[in-house]
Amino acid sequence: MITLEFHDPCGRLETKQPHAPRLDSLEGKRLAFVSNEQWQAYRMLPLLKGLLERDFAGIEVLPIDTFPQGNALIGSEETAALVKRSGVDGVIIGNAA
Amino acid sequence: MTLTREDFVGVMKNAVSGLGLGADAAMVTFPIELFLPGSDIASVEARKCEFYDGLTRWRSELADGGAADTSLVSVHGTTFEDAFIKANNVMLAHLWGDGLPLLPPTRERVEWILRGSALPRAHVLGTFPPRGGVAKVETCAIALAMAGGRPEYLPVLVAAVDAFLDPESGSEQLQAASGSAFPVVIVNGPIARQIRLNSGFGCLGPDPKHPAGASIGRALRLMQQNVGGARPGVGTMANYGGLRYTNVVFAEDEDNLPAGWTPHATERHSFAPGQNAISLAFTNGAANIRRRGAKKETPAEDALQGMHRMADFMRVPNLAGLAGYERGTPGILMMPGVVAQTMIDLGWTKRSMREFLWEHSRIPAQDLRRAGGPAWIEIDASPIVRKSIDLDPWPITASPDNFILIVAGGGHPTNSYWLQGYSPRVVGREIAVPDDFERLLQEAKRALEVR
Repeated sequence: MITLEFHDPCGRLETKQPHAPRLDSLEGKRLAFVSNEQWQAYRMLPLLKGLLERDFAGIEVLPIDTFPQGNALIGSEETAALVKRSGVDGVIIGNAA
Repeated sequence: MTLTREDFVGVMKNAVSGLGLGADAAMVTFPIELFLPGSDIASVEARKCEFYDGLTRWRSELADGGAADTSLVSVHGTTFEDAFIKANNVMLAHLWGDGLPLLPPTRERVEWILRGSALPRAHVLGTFPPRGGVAKVETCAIALAMAGGRPEYLPVLVAAVDAFLDPESGSEQLQAASGSAFPVVIVNGPIARQIRLNSGFGCLGPDPKHPAGASIGRALRLMQQNVGGARPGVGTMANYGGLRYTNVVFAEDEDNLPAGWTPHATERHSFAPGQNAISLAFTNGAANIRRRGAKKETPAEDALQGMHRMADFMRVPNLAGLAGYERGTPGILMMPGVVAQTMIDLGWTKRSMREFLWEHSRIPAQDLRRAGGPAWIEIDASPIVRKSIDLDPWPITASPDNFILIVAGGGHPTNSYWLQGYSPRVVGREIAVPDDFERLLQEAKRALEVR
């Protein structure tokens, strides 16, 4: 019997930080969108904004264009810092297609 | 949380793990039809609770949020042939292969390859985007072992991986993007000849006399896929994935540089002439250009017509390449040494050639508008790019200096070759070889040359 033992080539993954904790509810929370303005985001994200405002009392959903938009800008450290500084409780990002 | 296409989940998980989070994320996924113009988006409302749950109730399905360290896999066979086939089947089943036979990266083979490193095996080069797998020297050796490589190739691969992982290279986005970018690695310095890297006839394709480029490029591709997670349709959206079996790895033909021309690594990256170095750029197209004339052209006419034909190939709205408009490259023009020397003899200079190509590859604004080019230019992050929209005709790159001119290819005047740019920058790295490199070269000579 011949045995061949060889390396898994995928390299180690390092988990450096946990996912953000989820919200206890959406009532009274401040939410925002970060949009790449692609793939019909200009239609879908406003629809979601309206649904959230209709379904949850006291919720504040910032305008879709509050933060920089477009693929080239939404992934930047500057945009991330703006989102953090805004103090929003949660963010929906779209559209990844 | 994210609004995502169904087939984009792999890209999202790669992106998340690449940020150092567990490879999982809150996503609401839809089929591609929803993301197309004029689509019916009623299903977004119908599934609104999934968005609400993503913000409030989602939990990662990963127990520990991460993945295991590199491990060893075993197969058993009644004969070596049987075990070898089973090993290849296992590698394909794990999605580690590329469809061509692989050499199993056994401990012995990897140890042999590691003799080519000037760095410790545990030296970390970086994390491979987008998945975020840790790329060590050992990881390079494993990929090179799988790709059929040899120890003396490892210094070039390590330098190429180091350049690839430089954020300036654009690899973080290009690994996952739909544009089918592939890295081109240009090698300068004596190492090219020493390790049998091709700079002449057939330098972009397989050549049994010069096998190094295929193994090095294939190893880099395997790392893109396995360490970086760029699996077609899952981790990368590259529609066509052009030239991805071996990428492109070749040497500049320094022996046939015209007098006064400096090697590419010196000109672009300021490395000393004679320094072993690589230069890495992403491209997304390849075209052979019939350069010479067909009848009774004078030498000057032949040269000028050839320059026009090359510029004509470049005069296209390569909007995917806007990322390199300011400081990258519109592409790599390869020409044989005999052509470069003829051009010099006729009074052309490298500078005048670049300026000619820049001037004659400009696109009339009306043609750019007809093709919808201005919309892409307007949304670009670079103010230089956005401002370029005022130029008519529109230059395909901000400066003639961005064109890469390489002397390479067989000594024949008929063709030149254009690798269309898709790269925000061109990244250079010196190549470091181990102290006993000469011994490795001697061993390769004994192994590869017919006695």
